[in-house]
Amino acid sequence: MDFAFTAAEEAFRAELRAFLDAEVPDWWRGMFVDDERTMPFTRELCRTLAERGWLTMAWPPEHGGSGASVWMQAIVREEMWAREEPRGPQYMNLNYIGPLVMRFGTSEQQARFLPPMAKGEVIWTQGFSEPDAGSDLASLITRAEDRGDHFVVNGQKIWTSYADAPADWCLLLARTNSTVPKHDGISVLLVDMTTPGITVRPIDTMAGPHEFNEVFFDDVPVPRDCLLGGQDHGWDVIVAGLTFERVGIARYARAGRVIELLVEYANATGRGDDPSVRDRLADVRARYEAARLLNYRAISMQAAGEVPTIEASVARMHNTQLEQQVGHVGLELLGPMGRLRADDPLAPLEGEIDRYWTRNIPTTIAGGTLEIQKNIVAERGLGLPRAT
Amino acid sequence: VNLEPTPEQHLLAETARAFVDRHGADAGDPWPTIADAGWPGLLVPEEHGGAGAGMAELAIVCEALGRGPISSPLIATAVLTALPLCALGTHELRERLLPGVAAGTSIGTLALLEVGMRDEWDGVQIEGGMRLAGTKVLVPWATAADLLVVAAADGLHLVEKGAQGVLIEDHDTLEGEPTASLIFDGTRSERLCTSAEGRLAVDRTLEYAAVASLAYVVGAAERALELTVQHAKDRQQFGRAVGSFQAVAHRCAEMRADIDACRYLAYQAAWALDRSLVGGALEVAAAKAYANDAIRRVFLHAHQVHGAIGFSTEYPLHELTRRAKAFELSYGSTAHHRDRLARTIGLGSHR
Repeated sequence: MDFAFTAAEEAFRAELRAFLDAEVPDWWRGMFVDDERTMPFTRELCRTLAERGWLTMAWPPEHGGSGASVWMQAIVREEMWAREEPRGPQYMNLNYIGPLVMRFGTSEQQARFLPPMAKGEVIWTQGFSEPDAGSDLASLITRAEDRGDHFVVNGQKIWTSYADAPADWCLLLARTNSTVPKHDGISVLLVDMTTPGITVRPIDTMAGPHEFNEVFFDDVPVPRDCLLGGQDHGWDVIVAGLTFERVGIARYARAGRVIELLVEYANATGRGDDPSVRDRLADVRARYEAARLLNYRAISMQAAGEVPTIEASVARMHNTQLEQQVGHVGLELLGPMGRLRADDPLAPLEGEIDRYWTRNIPTTIAGGTLEIQKNIVAERGLGLPRAT
Repeated sequence: VNLEPTPEQHLLAETARAFVDRHGADAGDPWPTIADAGWPGLLVPEEHGGAGAGMAELAIVCEALGRGPISSPLIATAVLTALPLCALGTHELRERLLPGVAAGTSIGTLALLEVGMRDEWDGVQIEGGMRLAGTKVLVPWATAADLLVVAAADGLHLVEKGAQGVLIEDHDTLEGEPTASLIFDGTRSERLCTSAEGRLAVDRTLEYAAVASLAYVVGAAERALELTVQHAKDRQQFGRAVGSFQAVAHRCAEMRADIDACRYLAYQAAWALDRSLVGGALEVAAAKAYANDAIRRVFLHAHQVHGAIGFSTEYPLHELTRRAKAFELSYGSTAHHRDRLARTIGLGSHR
């Protein structure tokens, strides 16, 4: 066992940090904030990363990547997430939409969809959840009717991030067969978001004006060559995608950065020797350590050519609860001043802790709820009977 | 980074696991087999008859023993005795004593605590000088020990088997490990170091002991999870296995998540201790601070899922639970390790 990064990996991390120090502006506060500079900045940064060969460094050379090791990828994820993911929506392209196209796409689809992702020039969104299909995702009812050379999509998606970015393409889950068990009648369609019949309605959230959308599909034609994977076999695609996604975000890295900010704040305000402050901050620091190691375990399995499933869910249980706890402990440290948000000139740490706490209210919901993660661990990991 | 065990570590884990599975919990004295395997000498340099391995290897062995749970003076000998002797003993002393420690023919222990003390140097009062005088409590495996490392006001001392003027009184402990108080009355001893050196050596030794005992209790917790899952599958109520209720299944999933965290925190701390003579403060403090709480949660869940049978001494869970609680109370409290962790991350004016 070795818990250290190699000298070459550390050198790369230092180079990446220096690059981000120079390229990420002071005003950057992550996605979903009400700031017109946000999307143009993430597009520009992704183009620059692509020019340096860093955007798709994890991808295999035949798809425009450099086949970087999973540990180099982990370093990129950590550094990006610690700075509130300046790649914006495009991290999804790199982490799992691109890899799904590589794994399930035809060579024509790969030639068509991967190069724009590799150049950092395309925004994708995912059409998964519906008003009546959340944790029970397979019960989705958005229909894609087979008309031979094309499908016609009707239905509604909700809680769709980045649709109003605006997204260029959507990885859409739709029902292509209603006569078979629910998991067996779903297909994945790659949908051009400029197709007539698509309506996007933003939904305001506690975190800001652009986090969620509803997306309505009204007789939307989708060419057959935009079917990803086998017709009615979309569930296989989605299971693979969710597994990529669970280790695709270094949530612990942002928690670690926020803990550093809180340590600096406690020292600067003369509370670094307060036993209760020390106790609370050390507790979240220990939890951070646990979360980081469980992510590293999952990545170690990837490095050995295995696919972490249970391990990915365990890591996610730790990541998401860590984030919520760090936000809570942070606001507690700030006390009444913690109520001041970013736009208030007196806000401590420029409102960062308020924003972090708010954003992490749904962290145990998005991408598979905490309860779904526990079901996965209990059923697939421990062999318990299917929970009811 | 690579968290997969090396082939040698994998083999060691399999060997230790096979021994534990074969031995069972009540099948006689496990020490001869542990000694034959060379495990008491894992931290002893090869020049003194040890394996010259590291804390990572010792943690792997301890984790397997915890599954039993198997009682042995391994941590008392391999950590609490071997480390101070390696660090502080004269060349002559090391030549004379370490081969026996490494071979397991000498059992050793550390007499640190006095009534009211916690696991740290502060509070050590018994008289040193040429003759030890005073009472030590909660000394692990004192009755079996051939070598006693004793913390006295003027530093660490060594007392060898057969010394006159030592009275041993067995304790009655929660977890049932052989533990005793030692009453010294003018006992002849050899001083190993000053109190300043002793403080440092004991601090370092306790870091190793915290990690070794954490690894042991991770093994015990893993065994408790296996018992709990089996019970949740077998036990039928309301016409179905209780493990099919989410309220029960989710407790099991939380146990899995906490045990995995403790295991990798222990491995990381072991790795950090092996890496340098002074490193590992952050990793050890994080591991112990997290695990004290997490292991308690794990055993709360284990008992809740088991219901009444878990409380019965006719069922094996209680033995694991007692060891988990003893671990929590040993080698530094949660508050103590959080305070150390706070220092290593730069909080406060004494960083």
